[in-house]
Amino acid sequence: MEIVKLEEVSRVYTSGDHELKALDKVSLTLEEGKFVVILGPSGAGKSTLLNMLGGLDSPTSGKIYVQGKDISTLSNNELAEYRASTVGFVFQFYNLVPTLTVHENVALVKEIAPDALSATKMIEEVGLADHLKNFPSELSGGEQQRVSIARALAKNPKILLCDEPTGALDSMTGVLVLKLLLKMARDYGKTIIIVTHNQNIAKMADVVIRVKNGKIVSKEEQANPVSADDIEW
Amino acid sequence: MLFRKLWRTMGLYKAQFISMVIMIALGIGVFIGFHMEWVSIEKNMGSFFADTGYADFRLVQESGFSEEDLQKILDIEGVEKAVRYLAVTADVAERSGDSVALTVTTDILVSGFVVTEGEAYDAGSRDGIWLSDKYAAANDIHVGDTLSFLYKSIEVKGEVKGLIKAGEYMICVRDESQLMPDLSTYGFAFISPVLYEEAAGFAFYPQINVVSDMEKKDFTAAAEEALAVTVMVLTKDETISYAEAEGEVSEGKTMGSVLPVLFLLIAVLTMVTTMHRLTAKEKTQIGTLKALGFKDRRILCHYTAYALMIGILGSAIGVALGYGIAYYIMNPDGMMGTYMDMPEWKLYLPWFCYVILVAAIGLLTLIGFSSVRQMLKGTAADALRPYTPKKMKPMLIERTKLFHRLSFGTRWNMRDSMRHKSRTAMSLIGIVGCMILIVASLGMGDTMDAFLALYYDGATNYASRIYLAEEATEAQRNEVLSAYDGDWGASVGVQLEEKTISLDIYSVEHDKVRFPDKDSGYVHIGDDGAYLCMRLAEEFGLSVGDSFTISPYGSDEKYTLKVSGVIRSVSESIVITPKYADMLHISYAIDSVYTDVEKNEIDADSAIKNVSSKQMIIDSFDTFTDLMDTMIVILIAGALLLGVVVLYNLGVMSYTERYREMATLKVVGFKDRKIGSLLIGQNLWLSLIGVVIGIPAGMGVLAYLLKELAGEYEMKMAVSAATIAGSIVLTVGMSLLVSLMVSRKNKKIDMVEALKGAE
Repeated sequence: MEIVKLEEVSRVYTSGDHELKALDKVSLTLEEGKFVVILGPSGAGKSTLLNMLGGLDSPTSGKIYVQGKDISTLSNNELAEYRASTVGFVFQFYNLVPTLTVHENVALVKEIAPDALSATKMIEEVGLADHLKNFPSELSGGEQQRVSIARALAKNPKILLCDEPTGALDSMTGVLVLKLLLKMARDYGKTIIIVTHNQNIAKMADVVIRVKNGKIVSKEEQANPVSADDIEW
Repeated sequence: MLFRKLWRTMGLYKAQFISMVIMIALGIGVFIGFHMEWVSIEKNMGSFFADTGYADFRLVQESGFSEEDLQKILDIEGVEKAVRYLAVTADVAERSGDSVALTVTTDILVSGFVVTEGEAYDAGSRDGIWLSDKYAAANDIHVGDTLSFLYKSIEVKGEVKGLIKAGEYMICVRDESQLMPDLSTYGFAFISPVLYEEAAGFAFYPQINVVSDMEKKDFTAAAEEALAVTVMVLTKDETISYAEAEGEVSEGKTMGSVLPVLFLLIAVLTMVTTMHRLTAKEKTQIGTLKALGFKDRRILCHYTAYALMIGILGSAIGVALGYGIAYYIMNPDGMMGTYMDMPEWKLYLPWFCYVILVAAIGLLTLIGFSSVRQMLKGTAADALRPYTPKKMKPMLIERTKLFHRLSFGTRWNMRDSMRHKSRTAMSLIGIVGCMILIVASLGMGDTMDAFLALYYDGATNYASRIYLAEEATEAQRNEVLSAYDGDWGASVGVQLEEKTISLDIYSVEHDKVRFPDKDSGYVHIGDDGAYLCMRLAEEFGLSVGDSFTISPYGSDEKYTLKVSGVIRSVSESIVITPKYADMLHISYAIDSVYTDVEKNEIDADSAIKNVSSKQMIIDSFDTFTDLMDTMIVILIAGALLLGVVVLYNLGVMSYTERYREMATLKVVGFKDRKIGSLLIGQNLWLSLIGVVIGIPAGMGVLAYLLKELAGEYEMKMAVSAATIAGSIVLTVGMSLLVSLMVSRKNKKIDMVEALKGAE
């Protein structure tokens, strides 16, 4: 079933007289439950694409449908509701709230998400049951990213959006985080979209989309994706 | 190039820059303004008194002094100048109801005046009147007009030769019960001894005024030896003009030592936190400069110059503001001008203000210097690493179950407050400071209102007070008394140790006069002892049951009185009943009758010297309360401005520091309103804590101020519920307003930008 549909989406940034086309009339459809990797060099427009899907930014022109609903014309408050209920984020730099403990960082989403899952259970699943009362500054980078994944999934979103989730991690930890991400997404039946410039991650994906100069260059489906353990870093 | 960076940095942190400059300017301005006020009064008054020969001692004798007596006083070693002197309250024939203090001095160099318009004084003039210029202006009297003054059966007629100001009448009130001068109905006039002696037909001078540096003790002994009689000696501290003006000076000193110091302290503390945050935010820049090869000294100078500029700019504006405040209070047409009548109103910047200015700029520079040095520690690589605040540790309260039941927002705010302790403490100090200022100034108004209600609405229960003439016979006095059917009083000047005070004998049968007690009630004056005012009780360490000895002027008699109670009084006095006076054989003559008959219904009588109505007293203190209200409004405006600046500055800092956190919340799906309410919640909690601390602290400051002012007024602290409620509403309202101003910025959070880059 189709979960995401982009129609002629453009995003133009203007500063003074300069115009920068970060996305140029991009059209795309994605199926539910797939593991999608968006690949491209720096400045290709992949993060812009992810921000559009996450409701962090709105297109200059074009339409974005998520579960059949147009999100390109939502108000600020409606966008906040959309972010709270439909999408979960995992960032390169984790973005945990430093003054909240591990448990509180995950439980935080209960304040806004109607179908939130148990925070304790999610933390157990990412293997941090012993760190419930620790503050982010007391954790390693990999551990922090696991908290961030638990937080994203605790909202029980339809789509998980990840922006270079392993970018700040060493390769060993990166593999562990990716495996966890995949396992969780499969277990909970989520659509997962990862933005990266790491070619190797693409080998694991169901769908690989290549972006360059604000345009989609290719979209290929992989019948037999490689397991994370078999990827060479 | 670095200089250009300095300017741009200022532009970048303009909110911080402007708020620091405002804080410093407010602190310096209020400090300088308050201190300039009292120093200027002291200096202008000093030169005015010197120019007009304000007397250091006054010898008083009802039988009067002869020229020989004067010569004897002049012969005392240590006496510079002396004159025979007379001052009586005379009616102005041309203006019914008006009176003037008609004054004669045998030498204009002592207790004289300065001419502001018209001819100089002529000691031989047979028709010259030198009239108060303010009285003349208020009544459209000009040089060349003729006036007649009536005192008893004597009429003095003459031509206004000059308009003047006199040191003796710098604060021109009828007596101590009048709080403020009213120069439109009561002025003063000088005539020459020649005119006086011709009009009166005799040369009666009940006073000798003396300019001398001697001690009161030595002078009294020398004078009594020279004259061979006991005489009453009053020092200048016992005259209204000098004592009240000195009171104003010490009031200024007290106010200047409390409120402006609070402002300055908050300014410096704000500077410490803000400079620290600012350099912390600039840490990577500092590291970059260091990595580029700039020497530490160069970088230190660069950032220290920033603090120095804030210091200099703030101080410069502060000095201007200080002059403005001082001028507002201290100018001939301003607040002090309705109270004091002086020719010179120069503003003086006291020496210690220069010291404070230099010290403040020095301190600010030092704060800047040490903040940067902290950031420069270690290698260039260390300096390049961004500033990281302290790591989080669980608070004690987290061990309790209650903590985990609190809402997420409350927990977030509590931890944030703990993490940024100095920011929290500064916000709290700002709120407490604002609260203290508002509670203390509104409370001062309440206290003053309660004081006036106690004295004038409660204790002054008559419509008119009739002053009896000194020479009236006992039969005449009784006649007036029975005609107006009132209570009566008599005053006897007495010495209590070295102090000259008034022993007041009151016969109160109609409840026309009442005596306030220590609380807000009234004391019944019994026949078994004396009732002392609080100031005397404190000064001489007397309490109920103690005894003390007094001696009337001009006599060697000594009387021992027992203390039966302590009262609040406007003037320093002892109150007894006629029965107690008779028991001790103290002699007195009735001098005042208190009656319900209105002033205009009291017929002229040779036994009546003067009549004052309750309305006249009320009018004079209305001006006084107006003055008070203006001060209160200024202080509250200052307090609110202070609060807004401190909280806005810290609010913006807090916003920047939590920007990333808030962006994360926004990405996760929190609405702007929810994030805003988190921020407002924190400020609201701080405000509530600030209010809880601020109320007792404000009352403490008020109690301290009242204690310091106790030498002038015997006031009981009163803080009304409305004052407390008003202070809370103003402070919390101010805090909420600032929070709203800051939280509006939430909408501008750029989620995409904020989430890029490392922590």
